[in-house]
Amino acid sequence: MLLEVSGLDVRYGRTHAVKNATISVGEGEIVTVLGANGAGKTSLLRALQGAVRPASGRIVFDGKDLTGASPSARVRAGMMLVPEGRQIFVSMTVHENLQMGVYLRSDRDAARDIEAIYDRFPNLAERRDMKASVLSGGEQQMLAIGRALVGRPRLMMLDEPSLGLSPLFVSRLFDLIVELNQSGIGILLVEQNTTMALEVAARGYVLELGSIVLEDTAESLARNPTLTEAYLGGHQNSPSHAAGENA
Amino acid sequence: MLLIQQFVNSIMLGSVYVTVAVAFTLTIGVLNFLNFTIPTLFMLAGMVGWALAHWGLPFGLSGPMTWPLALFFGICVAILASLLVERLTFRYLKTKYGDSTEHAIPLVSSLGFLLVLENLVRIGYGTDAQRFPGPSADLTMNIGGIFVRIPQLVSLGIVVLIVVGLTWLLKRSRIGRGLRAIAENPDAANILGVDTNRVVPVVFMLTGLLCGLAGALFAVNYGEVSPQMGEDIGTKAIAGMVVGGLGSIWGAVLGGLIVGLTEMMTIHFFGADTVQVAVWGLLLLTLLLRPQGLFGHHSIGKGKL
Repeated sequence: MLLEVSGLDVRYGRTHAVKNATISVGEGEIVTVLGANGAGKTSLLRALQGAVRPASGRIVFDGKDLTGASPSARVRAGMMLVPEGRQIFVSMTVHENLQMGVYLRSDRDAARDIEAIYDRFPNLAERRDMKASVLSGGEQQMLAIGRALVGRPRLMMLDEPSLGLSPLFVSRLFDLIVELNQSGIGILLVEQNTTMALEVAARGYVLELGSIVLEDTAESLARNPTLTEAYLGGHQNSPSHAAGENA
Repeated sequence: MLLIQQFVNSIMLGSVYVTVAVAFTLTIGVLNFLNFTIPTLFMLAGMVGWALAHWGLPFGLSGPMTWPLALFFGICVAILASLLVERLTFRYLKTKYGDSTEHAIPLVSSLGFLLVLENLVRIGYGTDAQRFPGPSADLTMNIGGIFVRIPQLVSLGIVVLIVVGLTWLLKRSRIGRGLRAIAENPDAANILGVDTNRVVPVVFMLTGLLCGLAGALFAVNYGEVSPQMGEDIGTKAIAGMVVGGLGSIWGAVLGGLIVGLTEMMTIHFFGADTVQVAVWGLLLLTLLLRPQGLFGHHSIGKGKL
């Protein structure tokens, strides 16, 4: 297994955001974590990237225990998070944003990897010296993924990447996720767009109020009629619902 | 002619303000933190430099030093003191997801450091102003009737070099990108591997360097140091920074020069008593007409480097 998380607890003061979570992502696998607003999905990812310290549990990546490791140690090990809301640096140029993705790399290939991103996303190449604030929402998401990609991750964690994107960009995004996965990158995908997520994923977990209540192959989860009603708030695929996830 | 002479003098005075104002604006731009120890760091470089040139190292470890060596060590002490402040106040007390009230904690503790260090120097060296044995006053160039002291000219050159170097560092270097990333979005910077505890000390090191250098330039050009020397320079530098726009390096440069010019011209036309009124009047006017300053943005204290 590429990533093995066992018994993970995340607390913010009195809030118990993630309870005893055990999940895994295999080498080159796409795994999705589904759940309603406030289910603890973002907290789970933040704990995995080291932005918050888990109260208990173990995080093992590629055989190494990274439970107490700093975010930079996790980036070095090959974990990259594409955060919720993209979080690109709007005061920097597109190019500088991509350079932030290779912040910890000192090898000569870093510049070549950035050029490869421009080949992949010609829109970004055209705007390389413009402030990232001029990009459209879809382009910002491409930049956020590009920024993570140049760090040469073995596991990419994406937090609600389709949030706020037009349907056209959503389908491009999921094509891209599949493409990245085919190049050997393991994907941990947190989504509210259940249908799309289960289409690309091999396995899925369902989070409810911080606990994993369901774990199955994506196929079975997609066929599960009670899934939407019971755990995901019933109508999570309507675009109006896809706003303001925060937990 | 006298007016042109005053103009030349104001640039020299302004360059000291510029250096200190850049130190202020750097800390505000990156850390959103008004570092009150800055005037003390300025004073420390001057006073330590004077003590080393006058007496040498304590406990008779060395005799009096030559003034350039003494000032070099003075600047080193300012840098070390700044790093100490980072470790003991900013890092120790910093609350990770602080709101505006929590920003008061590093602010107040830096004010504490200002008072403690200044009074320690007073206890050690007394409150009197001391004559700094700088380069001879004869080193003067006469350009068409305007007198330019060569040490002042060299100082100006050093200030320009430092500001250009700093701009390059922030704009083009990897550490500069890391600093700007932390300034704009610490969370996003962290998940890309920017380690706050390694990058923040760089800001304090640069602060110590800028203030130490300004203190050394002041000692050389005005030939006098005292434990109080940071107070007036510090407040004028803050005025210069606000006029130029918080967080903008070139704003601090322009603001510092404007304050120096205002000061000299006020003295020339109205006498020394009116200086504070003119400088702070200028500041208030700026806040009324253009609150973000000349080069500042509307979002104060966020990612403008």
